Amino acid sequence: MAPINLSHRRTHNLLLISKLLSLRDTASPLTLVLDSLEQPATPLLKEYIRRAKLSNVHVTLIAFETLKQPDGVDVFVSTRRKSPTDIVKEVSAVYQPIAASSPSRRRLILIDSINPLLNSKRVDPGFHLPSFLGSFIAPTSPSAKVDASLVVIYHQDVPELPQQSPYSPTPISELTYLATSIITLHSFSHVLAQKAARDRSLAPPVFGLEEEQEGVLLGRLDRLVGTGKAEGIVIELEHRRKSGRGVLEWYLLPPASRYSPQHLKEIVTLLDDNVLYNPPMEQDPGAGDEEPTSTFELGLTDRQRREREGVVLPYFDAQHNDGPGEGGRILYDMGEEDDFDEEEDEI
Amino acid sequence: MPSQPPLPPLLAPYVSNLPDSSLTLVSSILGATSNWLILRFLHAALSSPSPNAAFGSDELHNGTKKKVVLVSFMRSYEFWRTEAKRLGLDLARLAEKQQFAFIDGLSELFYAPQPTATSPSISPAGLGSSPRTTLPMRSPPGAVPGRSPQPAGPTATGARGNATSKQAEPGIAKKLHFSGRGLASLDALEKDISSVIEQQKSSMEDGDELLLIIDQPDLLLAATGPSMGIGATEMSEWITALQQHAHATVLTLATDAPLIHNASTSGGLATPIETEHAALVIGLAHRARSVMQLRTLDTGAAKDVSGVLRISRGGGLNASEESLEEREALYFIQRDGGVKVFGRGES
Repeated sequence: MAPINLSHRRTHNLLLISKLLSLRDTASPLTLVLDSLEQPATPLLKEYIRRAKLSNVHVTLIAFETLKQPDGVDVFVSTRRKSPTDIVKEVSAVYQPIAASSPSRRRLILIDSINPLLNSKRVDPGFHLPSFLGSFIAPTSPSAKVDASLVVIYHQDVPELPQQSPYSPTPISELTYLATSIITLHSFSHVLAQKAARDRSLAPPVFGLEEEQEGVLLGRLDRLVGTGKAEGIVIELEHRRKSGRGVLEWYLLPPASRYSPQHLKEIVTLLDDNVLYNPPMEQDPGAGDEEPTSTFELGLTDRQRREREGVVLPYFDAQHNDGPGEGGRILYDMGEEDDFDEEEDEI
Repeated sequence: MPSQPPLPPLLAPYVSNLPDSSLTLVSSILGATSNWLILRFLHAALSSPSPNAAFGSDELHNGTKKKVVLVSFMRSYEFWRTEAKRLGLDLARLAEKQQFAFIDGLSELFYAPQPTATSPSISPAGLGSSPRTTLPMRSPPGAVPGRSPQPAGPTATGARGNATSKQAEPGIAKKLHFSGRGLASLDALEKDISSVIEQQKSSMEDGDELLLIIDQPDLLLAATGPSMGIGATEMSEWITALQQHAHATVLTLATDAPLIHNASTSGGLATPIETEHAALVIGLAHRARSVMQLRTLDTGAAKDVSGVLRISRGGGLNASEESLEEREALYFIQRDGGVKVFGRGES
C-alpha cells in the first residue's frame, strides 16, 4: 500500500477503532463479533469491559455460556430457562434504577454467544431476531433515553441448524445485515503463517477444524508464543458509516499482559504497522545501490567519473556540422596513461 | 517393561488441581478412547498421598480432600471398578468412605423397572416374567459380579427406583432413568445427579473440592435428538446446570470425523445428529478451560504408540488470570494398563 495512504489510515482508522471499542458517540449501536475456536472472543470481551470501566459505562452481560460473573461486569443476566422476552424484560429492568439516578450514563450490553439462542428448540417459531436485538438498543419506554451499545458474539464454527422455513434467511445473514460494524477475529500467529505462505505463492495453511483431521478440534499450539512476539489477536473490522460508506481495516490488539488495566492511550495498532507482519523495508533500497562484491574493482573513482562525463559522444557531435568532430568522426584525446600502439593503427 | 507411575509426570499438571468452576473437555475418537485419561483424573483426585504413591503426585494433595462423582453413559460400573483397581484405586471402598459416587447412566437409562403394563414387553425373551433391575443384554460380557448377589428384589417403588437400587448393587449410587421428553426429562436427570452430589457434599468440609466427571453425555443427545425436543442448546444448558453444583467438571465427548465435519461440509444435507453433535461439541469447546484431544497417530499404527494427546486452551480460559501451556504428546497404553506419556522423539 502506498505510504501516503498508510499515514492517512493510521490517523483515521485508529481513531475509528478507538471510538468503537470505547463506545464513544455510539459509533456502532450493534457490533457483531465473529470468532472461532482458533481465536475466541474472550480477550476482546475483556478489552471492552476494561474500557467501559475506565469511562464509567454500565456493563450488562447476557450469559448464554458464561458460568460466573466476570470482573468488571455490573449486571450478570443468566439466560437459563428464560424465553427471549423474559431476557429483554430483565435486561431493561436492571437498568431502571441506574437510569433514574444518572440518566446520561452510557450502557454496554454484551451477549457472550448468540448461537445457543439461535439453535434452541424451545424458542417458538415466531421469534424474530431483529426485534429481539433491537429491543435492547431502543427500549420501548420513551421516558428513558438510553445510550446503549450492543455487542453480540457469534461462533462461526458452530454449525447452524436447518431453517424451519426454507425461504427465510439464515440467522448469520440477518446478523451481518443488521450490524453496524462487524469484527472478525483471527489468531496473529495464524495470520503470520498464512501471509508467509502467500508471499511464497503457496496455498495458505488452515488450522483446527478446517484441517478436517479426525479428532482435532483446535489447532492452536504455543509454537510462536515462546518468542513472545506473535501474541495478540488480529481484528478485521468492517464498519458501516451512517453515510453508507464502508471502512475495512485490519488491526492488532496486543495481549492483556502487555499493558496495565488503567492504561489510557490507544493500544490497538494497524496490522500493517506491525514489524512481524510487515518487516521494515529500509534495507532493501539501500541494498539496491550496492555493487555485487567481486575481486574486480567495478566502481569508478571521482576522477574517472569526471572525465567520463566530459566525453562528447559522437551523436551529440553530429548534430552540428561545424563542431570539432565535423559530422560524426570519432575524436579521441589521448590521456597520459594511454599506451598508444603505433602498429595497431597502421592499417 | 518397567511399570509406569499411575500418573505420568507430563500429564500431572493438567489432570490435577483444576480451578474453580472450570470445564475440561476430553475428546476421543473410535481408535483413541478416553477411559484411560478419565482414570488418570480419578487417580489424581482420589489417590491418598501414601508413601508408595507415585513420584510427583505428593505435592498435588495440598490439604484439600477431593470427592468425585462419576456419571457414565457409556461404560458400566464393573468396567470402571476393574480398571481403577489396576491403578490401585478401590472404588468400592472409596464409595463406602463417601469419597466417590458412581451414577450409572448406561444399564437402565431407557428401561423403566415397573412391574406394570409396559415392562414385561420390553424385557428380553429369556427372562420371561420376572422383572429384573439389570438388563442383561446391555451389560458387557463378564460384567456381572460374582460375589455380589444378583439383585433379585424388584425395584417396584416409584418409576425412578431411587432408594432401592442403591442397596441392590453396591458401589452404584444411582441409576438414571430417562422418561418423558424434552426439557422435563433432562430436568429429572439433573435432579437425580444433583441429589447424589448434594449427598456427597453433606459430608464435605470447607475447602474440599468436588469433581464431576460425565462420561459421554453425547450418548444422551444421540439417543434422543431433536425429535424428542433435545438439541445441542438443551444439552449444554443441562451441563451448565450440573456444573454449578460441582467445583470442576470433566466431560468426555466423541469427535469422530462424521460427527464433527459432516455438518459443515455437506452443505445442508447433514443429518440432525451430525449437526446437533457438532454444535454441542464445538459449543462446549468454546466454554471449556482446556480441551484434551485424543486421536490416532497421523502416520498410521505403531507398536509402541497408542495415540496422540493434544492439550489446547479452550475458549473459556481466563488468560489474564492463569496460563495453560499447550502441548502435544504421544501416549502408549501398556498391557498392564500403565500409560506412558512422552513427547515426540522421546521414549
